[in-house]
Amino acid sequence: MPPITDKPVAPAQVVLTGNPNCGKTTVFNALTGLRAKVGNYPGVTVERKEGRLLGVAREITMLDLPGTYSLSPNSPDEQIARDVLLQRIAKVPAPDLVVIVVDASNLHRNLYFATQVIELGYRTILALNMVDVATQNGKAVNPRLLSELLEVPVIPLVASQGSGIAELRLEIVRFLDAPRPAHPGFFGDLPPVYLREIASLAELLGGQAAPGAPFNRHAEALLLLGDSRPVKSLVLAQPAPIQDQARAARRRLEEAGLDWGTKPIEARYACIAALCDAVITEMADVRETLSDRLDRVLTHKIWGVLIFLGLMTLMFNSIFILAKLPMEALDAGVNWLGQQVGRMVPPGDLHSLLEQGVFAGVGAVVVFLPQICILFLFIGLLEDTGYMSRAAFIMDRFMSKVGLQGKCFIPLLSSYACAIPGIMATRTIENFRDRLATILIAPLMSCSARLPVYTLLIAACIPDRQLAGWIPLQSLTMLGLYLLGTGAALLVAWLFKSTFLKGPPPLLIMELPPYKRPTLQGVLLHMWQRARMFLHSAGTLILCLNIVLWFLATYPHSAEREQHFAQLRQAVGSGVAPAGVGQAALAARVEREIAELNAQEAAERLQTSFAGRMGRFIEPVLAPLGFDWKIGIGIIASFAAREVFVSTMSTVYSVGNADPSASNRSLVQTLREQIRPDGGRLYTPASGLSLMVFYVFALQCASTVAIVRRETNSWKWPVFQWCYLAVVAWIMAFATYRLLLYLGF
Amino acid sequence: MSNQGSKVIKLSSGCTNPVTCPLNQVKAGTAVKIKQLDAPPEVAHRLREMGFCEEQKLRLLTQNTTIICQVCNARFGLSTDLARQILVEPLPVFRQAS
Repeated sequence: MPPITDKPVAPAQVVLTGNPNCGKTTVFNALTGLRAKVGNYPGVTVERKEGRLLGVAREITMLDLPGTYSLSPNSPDEQIARDVLLQRIAKVPAPDLVVIVVDASNLHRNLYFATQVIELGYRTILALNMVDVATQNGKAVNPRLLSELLEVPVIPLVASQGSGIAELRLEIVRFLDAPRPAHPGFFGDLPPVYLREIASLAELLGGQAAPGAPFNRHAEALLLLGDSRPVKSLVLAQPAPIQDQARAARRRLEEAGLDWGTKPIEARYACIAALCDAVITEMADVRETLSDRLDRVLTHKIWGVLIFLGLMTLMFNSIFILAKLPMEALDAGVNWLGQQVGRMVPPGDLHSLLEQGVFAGVGAVVVFLPQICILFLFIGLLEDTGYMSRAAFIMDRFMSKVGLQGKCFIPLLSSYACAIPGIMATRTIENFRDRLATILIAPLMSCSARLPVYTLLIAACIPDRQLAGWIPLQSLTMLGLYLLGTGAALLVAWLFKSTFLKGPPPLLIMELPPYKRPTLQGVLLHMWQRARMFLHSAGTLILCLNIVLWFLATYPHSAEREQHFAQLRQAVGSGVAPAGVGQAALAARVEREIAELNAQEAAERLQTSFAGRMGRFIEPVLAPLGFDWKIGIGIIASFAAREVFVSTMSTVYSVGNADPSASNRSLVQTLREQIRPDGGRLYTPASGLSLMVFYVFALQCASTVAIVRRETNSWKWPVFQWCYLAVVAWIMAFATYRLLLYLGF
Repeated sequence: MSNQGSKVIKLSSGCTNPVTCPLNQVKAGTAVKIKQLDAPPEVAHRLREMGFCEEQKLRLLTQNTTIICQVCNARFGLSTDLARQILVEPLPVFRQAS
C-alpha cells in the first residue's frame, strides 16, 4: 500500500493574510504581477483577489485575504478572512501554506493577529514587511531571533521597492514541500482551567469531519471561547451543540473567577511584549517621525479641514476637466463604431437594435469610463499614501451629524460624477447600515448624466434674465438643483439612520497608518481593476437592460405605417424639378424632405410603441406635475440613462437630428413652441422646474438599479430605493409645480 | 527650605478626577494608562485586540472633537463617544518646578 502523504496536489493554494495597512496588497502584486483575478466570494460583496505566483514552474495560486486585525471578525471583510483560514467556505480550497505579512515598524499590534494565525498550525511564513520604515523609526528587528521564537520562517521585505520578494517566492516554493508543522502551543500563558475547557471543546470541534487540510482545533476552540458573539460564519453556522458547549464552558470559567473574554487577549499581548523586547533593538529615540509632523497639519482642526476640502475640489474638478476630452473621444468612437456596424447590417430590426439598443444605450454609459478611471486613480492615491484614513477621520465629525461616518463621504462625492463608481466605492465602509444608507442616498447627488437634461430644460424654460440685476437666473437654477439633491440626500440619510437603519452610533476607531509613497504600479492596478469591473457590468447587466428598453421603444411595428411612409418617400424622390430650380438644389430639397419624413415616421413609431403607450398610460399620474404623455415617453426612455431624455424628446417632437449641436438649439426652440390643449405653453418655468426637480429625485437610471442589486445582493434594496425616490420625486415635483402656479409663473 | 530645583509631581492632564477619567477629558500631549473599558462587550473586545488593554499606556496626540492617540507605536483615531468609554489614569508628569 502506498504511504499516505498530505502533500498538496497541484495547484497549491497559498493564502496571504495580515493586518490592514501592512503592505499586503503590495506584496501580493509583487508576487502575482498584473494578472490577478478580482471577483467576489459567494454570496457577499467582499472582494476576492486571486493570482498565480509568478516566476515559478509549479502552479501555485495566491489568494489575497482582506486585511484583518484579529480572527474574531468585526466586518464582512474580516469574516471572510477568518472563514477562509478556518475552512468554512466550501468554494475556497483549504490553504496549503499561509503567508502572514506584518509591518515591522508596528510589530506589537501586527503580531497579535500573526500569532493567532500561527496557532492554526498551517505551514506558515512570516513576511516581515516595511523593515525600512522600522529602521527610519529607530528600530532594528532581528528576523533570525523572531523566526526562532515564533518557530516559523521569517523573510524581511521592503515590498514597495521589491526587495526580499525573490527570497519570499523561493521560500514559498521550498516550504510547500516541508512537512506540516506539529501543532504549536498558544502564545501566552493561559490558566490550566482555561486550557482544559479548550481541550474538551477542541475535541468536539475535531469530531466534525474536516474535508480539507487539518488545522489546530485547539486554536479554533480558543477563538470560540473568547468571543461571546454567536460565531456565525457567512456560509456555515457553528452547530448548536458546539455553541451550547461553548456557552457552558464560559459559565464554568466565570464561576472559576476568570474573565474568558479578556484573559486570552491579555495573555497574548503579554507574550508579544516579551517577544518584542527580545527581537527589537531601539537604535535611536526618534521623537518625531515625518508622519507625526504631517499629521500635526493634516489632521489639524482648521488646516486639516481646509486641505481636505482643497484636495476634494481638485479631485472633483479633475474628474470633470481631465475626463472631458477622453469622454468626447470615447463618445465619438462609440458613434463611429455604431455607424460602421450600421453600414454592414441591412436596415431593419437588427440594425435598429445594434444602433439604438447596443451602441447608443451602452455607449451612453461607457462614456463615463474616463471619469471612473480618474476617480479611482485619486482614490487609489489617497489610499496608498495613507491619507484616506485621515480624510475619513476629518469628515467623521460632519457626517456623524446625519448619522453617517467619515468613510461615507468619498462615495457620495464620487456620485456627483456618476452614482455607479460611487456605489462601488462604498465597499470600504465596514458597517452594513452605514453602507446601505450611503448606497440609498447616492443617486440624489446630481450626476453628470443629469447635466444635459438640466441644460436643455433650463434653456427652454428659465428666462435668460438676471436676478437683482446681476445674478443670472439660469445659473442660479442649476446651482439650486445641485443643492437640492445634496440637501435632500443628507436629510434622507438622517431619516433612514434614525429609523429602520438605526443602530448604535458607530464607534469610530480607525488606524492612521504612517504616510508612505504610493507605487505607480499599485495605483494603476487599482484603477484598472475598478474600470474592468465597471466595463463588465456595462457589458452584461446594462446591455440587457438597454435591449429591453430598445424593445419597448421600437415595438410593435405597423406594416401600414411603414408602407405609408415608403410611398411618401417615393413620391418625394420621383418629383420633377420645377422650372428655374437646378438639379443640385432639387437633390438638396429631396434630401431635406426625406429627412423630415424619416423624423416624422420615427416620432409616430415611438408614439405608438410600447413606451409610447406606457407614456399615455402614466399620463394621469404625470398630469398633476404639469407633464403630458410625450414627456412621459421621455421619462420612460431615459430610464436607460438620464441623458437619453434629450435624444428621446427630439425624436418625439420629430426634430431632425442630422447635426447634433444644431438640433439641441432647435430642440430648445421646439420645446418653447409646444402648446397645451388649453392653448397655454407646455414648457413654462413652472412645468420646467417641476420636471427638473423630478429628475433630481427620480432614480431614472437602470444601471444604478443593476449596480445596487449587485452590491446589496438582493432585489429588496434597489426596489425599495427606486420606489422611495419615485414617491419623493412625484411629491416634490407636484409641490414645485403647484407652488409656482400659485405664485403666478 | 526652597523648592527650587527639586522635582514635584503635578497632574497636568486637565482632568478633574485625579484617579480615573474618560479619555476624552484628557489634555492633548498627556501620557495615560488605561484602567477600564466601559464599552459594550463587542467593542471592548475589539479595543483590547487592537492594543487598548487595561494597564496599557497610551499617549494622546490631539484632542479635538475627534481624538488621535498612540498605542504601542500605532496611531488611532477615535470618536469622542468611544473615548468617553475608555477610562484612564493620568500618568504623573515630572517637571522642574520654577
